[in-house]
Amino acid sequence: MIFSSAKIQTTGTKRRGSLGQILLLAAGFLVLVGISALSVILVDRAREDNDWVVHTVEVENQISTLRLRIRTTESAARGYLLTDEQRFLDEYLAAAANVRSDIDKLIQLSGDNRVQIANASELRTPVEARLDEFAKAIGFAQRHDTAGGIELLRSSDSGRATERINDVASRMRAEEERLFAQRTQTADRTERFASIVTVAGSGLVVLLACISIFLVRRSIRARDQAEAQLRDANLNLEATVDERTADLREANNEIQRFAYIVSHDLRSPLVNIMGFTSELEELRNEIFKRIAALHAAASQNPALPAAARDTEPTLDAEDQQRLAYFSEALEFIKSSIAKMDRLISAILSLTREGRREFRPVRIDTRELIEAIVTTVAHQAAEGQAEIHIEPLPEITSDRLALEQIFSNLIDNALKYLKPGVPGKIFIRARTKLGYAIFEISDNGRGIDPKDHQRIFDLFRRAGPQDKPGQGIGLAHVRALVRRLGGTMSVTSELDQGSTFTVTLPINWNANRRNREP
Amino acid sequence: MSAAVTIIMIEDDEGHARLIERNIRRSGVNNEIVPFTSGTAALRYLFGNDGSGLERKGDALLILLDLNLPDMGGIEILQRVKENKHLKSTPVVVLTTTDDSQEIKRCYELGCNVYITKPVNYESFANAIRQLGLFFSVIQVPPAAT
Repeated sequence: MIFSSAKIQTTGTKRRGSLGQILLLAAGFLVLVGISALSVILVDRAREDNDWVVHTVEVENQISTLRLRIRTTESAARGYLLTDEQRFLDEYLAAAANVRSDIDKLIQLSGDNRVQIANASELRTPVEARLDEFAKAIGFAQRHDTAGGIELLRSSDSGRATERINDVASRMRAEEERLFAQRTQTADRTERFASIVTVAGSGLVVLLACISIFLVRRSIRARDQAEAQLRDANLNLEATVDERTADLREANNEIQRFAYIVSHDLRSPLVNIMGFTSELEELRNEIFKRIAALHAAASQNPALPAAARDTEPTLDAEDQQRLAYFSEALEFIKSSIAKMDRLISAILSLTREGRREFRPVRIDTRELIEAIVTTVAHQAAEGQAEIHIEPLPEITSDRLALEQIFSNLIDNALKYLKPGVPGKIFIRARTKLGYAIFEISDNGRGIDPKDHQRIFDLFRRAGPQDKPGQGIGLAHVRALVRRLGGTMSVTSELDQGSTFTVTLPINWNANRRNREP
Repeated sequence: MSAAVTIIMIEDDEGHARLIERNIRRSGVNNEIVPFTSGTAALRYLFGNDGSGLERKGDALLILLDLNLPDMGGIEILQRVKENKHLKSTPVVVLTTTDDSQEIKRCYELGCNVYITKPVNYESFANAIRQLGLFFSVIQVPPAAT
């Protein structure tokens, strides 16, 4: 009892511990999932931020490209004007063709920013003006009016357009630089945030891992402790069982001694009661004979012939009645004594059985049961019963005990058949795990399940009490089976017959049960 | 049985003693019956105050013995009688309720001459005692050895 409560406590702690561990693991898993999700999001954001940074650089690059292109156009135009060489003309044409597309590309690139779109569009006018100038100058050159072309270039208001281009370009550049700084900062922040999240998450996971390691260690310790307790408990249990067994054996012996002495000593007064009752009976006969004689003497004429006096004197009705009462009382006393004597004898023989030493020998149970069946052949014929004996095993046991067990059971089967129904009694056996399991089944009147326990009790019987018996047989059989190291049970329903099952060890184990201390 | 033979009845139950005596008488045995209800008193009578048994020298005795006595076991009395050089030839009839085979065997081993279990059934009882009485009437009892 002590140990089981300790065990319950341990189990409680363990359950709580394991629940904690599961929660911790779940928390750790959730944190990991959270970190992963955040990381994915943050990495995505960082990529986007970087894209924007790259984009800014691209825009700046495009601005430079545009300016370079304008310069290239200008220098090619000038080169052509000066040298009139086809090479410059080709260069000019190629560059001029690209200037517009450069502007378009710039507008397209800076499409995310309205200021820059405005700026880029603003570039268009001065660039167009410049390109017009160049075209005109090239026109002069093609007409070989180089001087006119030069004059045109000189006279034209090229400074302002160039200034505007530069102005807008630098504005755009400034804007892009501002964006660059801003976007770099955003990217940095995102990255920092990502690393903080990672570090914090990792820390949290490590912390959870530490806690769960601690918990696991604690529960391992608890388990070790519980195991040690269990081991102790087992050892103690064995000792306790031994102790209890010894106690029980002693108690059993004491009960047997007690039953023996009591039943024995009860017999002594019974002899007296019976003896003096019989003496009283004798006296009764004499007294009533005398009363009759006196009565006769008083009422009869003494002058009657002697022959008449010799006849048995009779009692008058009143005295007849007294004699009947007297006799009845004595009969009750005697029948009660006889019954008590039978009960005492039964207890005596049971206790004597309980003290008898067994002599184990190898027994062919089929042979033994066939011999019993032969002895009850007469009863079987009376009850129109057939007894079928199936192949039965050989076991090592006490012959007398087995005879008593089986003859009691077969006797009962024959005794409690259904009247008018031919009896069928089967005796079969099987072996299992070193035990022989015998079954004696009949098609008799059966036993109400509520009486299944009762029938094994001393002096208790079940069903209609129409057969002679003391209620000793099954109590005796069960006691014997137990002493032989076996068990017995019954399965039965009213009117459905009964099956008594006797399980006996196949080999004689000089078990503790039989060792008297 | 010669008139000199004395029946020593050691029986603690007075009812039993009475029934035994009555039935012995009914069988026609008229010898003196000396009843004892305790082992101690019986031993004192048999062995005398000095315990030697010399006092009973020359007496022809027959002992009727119950085994269940309040102060000692009947077996002890039997043993002492059979060990005493003066009394050992005295016939001992054990008449008791004990029907334990071990006890019976032990009594015969110790030299008991007859062992009878008292039947509860009075007819059997009376019958047994009467038979015993008849037996007493023909039995030859030697006087206690000198």
